Amino acid sequence: MVKVYRSTVLDAPADRVWRDLRDFNGMANWHPSIGSSRIENGQPADKVGCVRNFQLKDGNRIREKLLALSDYDYSFTYAILDSPMDLNDYIATLRLFPVTEGNRCFIEWSAEFDCPPEKAAELAEAVGDGVFQTGFDALKKRYGKR
Amino acid sequence: MKVCVIRSAVIDAPIDRVWAVLRDFNSHARWHPVVASSRMENDLDGGVVGGVRRFSLADGTELREQLLRHSDREHTFSYCILDSPLPLFDYVATVRLKPVTDGNQTFWDWRSQFRAPDHRAPELGNMIGQQVYEAGFSGLRRFLSEKEGLSRPPGPEAAAATFPAAGGEHLPSKAMVVTSFGGPDAMTLRDVTVPAPGPRQVRIRQTAIAVNYLDLQHRRGITAGFELPGTPGVEGVGEIIDVGEHVNGLFPGDRIAYMSRKPGAYAEIRCIDADACVPLPDGVSDIDASALLKGLIAGLLLSRVFKAAPGATILVQAVSGGLGHLLSQWAKSMDLTVLGTVSTAEKAKFSRDRGCDYPLVAAAGTSLTAEVMRITNGRGVDYWVHSGGAGGLDAALACLSRCGHCAVIGDRDGQSIPLDVNVLKQRSLTVSAPVCFDYFDDRPYLHRLAHQLFAKIQSRTIAPAVETLPLSQASEAHSRIETRQTMGAVVLTPGG
Repeated sequence: MVKVYRSTVLDAPADRVWRDLRDFNGMANWHPSIGSSRIENGQPADKVGCVRNFQLKDGNRIREKLLALSDYDYSFTYAILDSPMDLNDYIATLRLFPVTEGNRCFIEWSAEFDCPPEKAAELAEAVGDGVFQTGFDALKKRYGKR
Repeated sequence: MKVCVIRSAVIDAPIDRVWAVLRDFNSHARWHPVVASSRMENDLDGGVVGGVRRFSLADGTELREQLLRHSDREHTFSYCILDSPLPLFDYVATVRLKPVTDGNQTFWDWRSQFRAPDHRAPELGNMIGQQVYEAGFSGLRRFLSEKEGLSRPPGPEAAAATFPAAGGEHLPSKAMVVTSFGGPDAMTLRDVTVPAPGPRQVRIRQTAIAVNYLDLQHRRGITAGFELPGTPGVEGVGEIIDVGEHVNGLFPGDRIAYMSRKPGAYAEIRCIDADACVPLPDGVSDIDASALLKGLIAGLLLSRVFKAAPGATILVQAVSGGLGHLLSQWAKSMDLTVLGTVSTAEKAKFSRDRGCDYPLVAAAGTSLTAEVMRITNGRGVDYWVHSGGAGGLDAALACLSRCGHCAVIGDRDGQSIPLDVNVLKQRSLTVSAPVCFDYFDDRPYLHRLAHQLFAKIQSRTIAPAVETLPLSQASEAHSRIETRQTMGAVVLTPGG
């Protein structure tokens, strides 16, 4: 089991950031790697169990299923159904915490998955830097420098 | 009525530092402004779950609190109030830390729930939020920035690593000084004194100082950014002696590597900007860490400058050199096919052992272009890392595949390098001239790249090859590099 964890601080209140992030179909609006996104079978994007279908800018497709969504905890959890990456049982959680001092927020993004051992380091880097940190960098720009 | 209080903050220090202080349930008197004294009942240790601490507050009142839960793994503990002069009932509080991986800081969440009489609930909630939690955040920040109160993380190394605090004194040191531009002998070893670190600076005792080609150019006076009299060297590794004001997250005794636009590394002791420092993980030796700048440049060339796809071909000039041998190993770990130029058969063998698939020895009567075309089946290389100055740039461009890229690095002779854009247009070629410090001003990127480099060194995906010489023989080191006698990196060791 490979575990990946990344976190940062955003210069915007948790409520403000959560408004953008809770939309399971909205990641294309802020993540630079994602070209387009749609929810399959016309389901609402905040219905647990719905599947989002990404077209990445590099042409690849990823399908992910929403496993949990909590407005109370500012968090959601999802699993990868199909992706070009050689990994299995990928489950990730993104969660916000308010930073009361300065009215900012702390964001953490973690994932667990299985993969061939020789690919573990490379995939952990691809997920941690390529997906999570790249997303954080875009969010930091979106909400201003901290 | 039920009251819930939540306060949170970001502390400018790594989580291990913050947790090393907070995990001791009996530590509040050392950092929290309202706690005058604290002791554990029954002489229990501060980490015993079930233990009771007895606080005397600054205003003379007493408080008893019991540790309910404690986890080093989760960086959290919970406690309840047993006795308090205030009407707080069923008070349970939790402190939880989380690492801010992007920036080496710590997120600290402190929250509690309790019952209080209705008419006093808002007042008590605010009082706890501000005078206990928020005051605690500032108290801990102050505590961490005062080097006297330093508490290192627990562990076997903690006892051994107590470095004597220098207390702001000038310290005697030795440094290589250039008084007039010239050859390797233009440097002489001199006795100097190093003042205490200024604001946002740390003072370090160096253990390894890598020699870079830039140092030779500084000494010769052909590159801007070096004034006489001056000490060359733009990177080093060492241990922090003391820290100046407004330095967060770095402590005396920390092992660090740094790189900086400002020369001055050829010395036993020096002051350096805190934000130029990268903390070293345990599995990376000082000598390996001295590959920092060249390793980071290798990573830079393979990420932001040009992102070659797996299977692509790269040609590295001077592939057996300090940068070249790291670049070839990093490129190999990305599944690139690596070609490289070397001057001798011995260097060819050295390079082949370090990720270079095709080391090409320059010899009379052989054409580099023809060799490259033969190896790539006439396609050319996708990426050429050129360090030869004006010489050979035309040949480099001729060897590139369609849409290929040439990165021109270094500044070998300080001469201008003409470039005909029409040549680029013929096959959609691109040329870049990256100066690493421009990219490394982006500190989060620098730290991410350093993290990758150290991980590759720890897994031996990258093994720096290092030739060491005493600091006093810096002139010898320069002349060996200038006469192309070295392979891998050359590192100076002070006190050797």
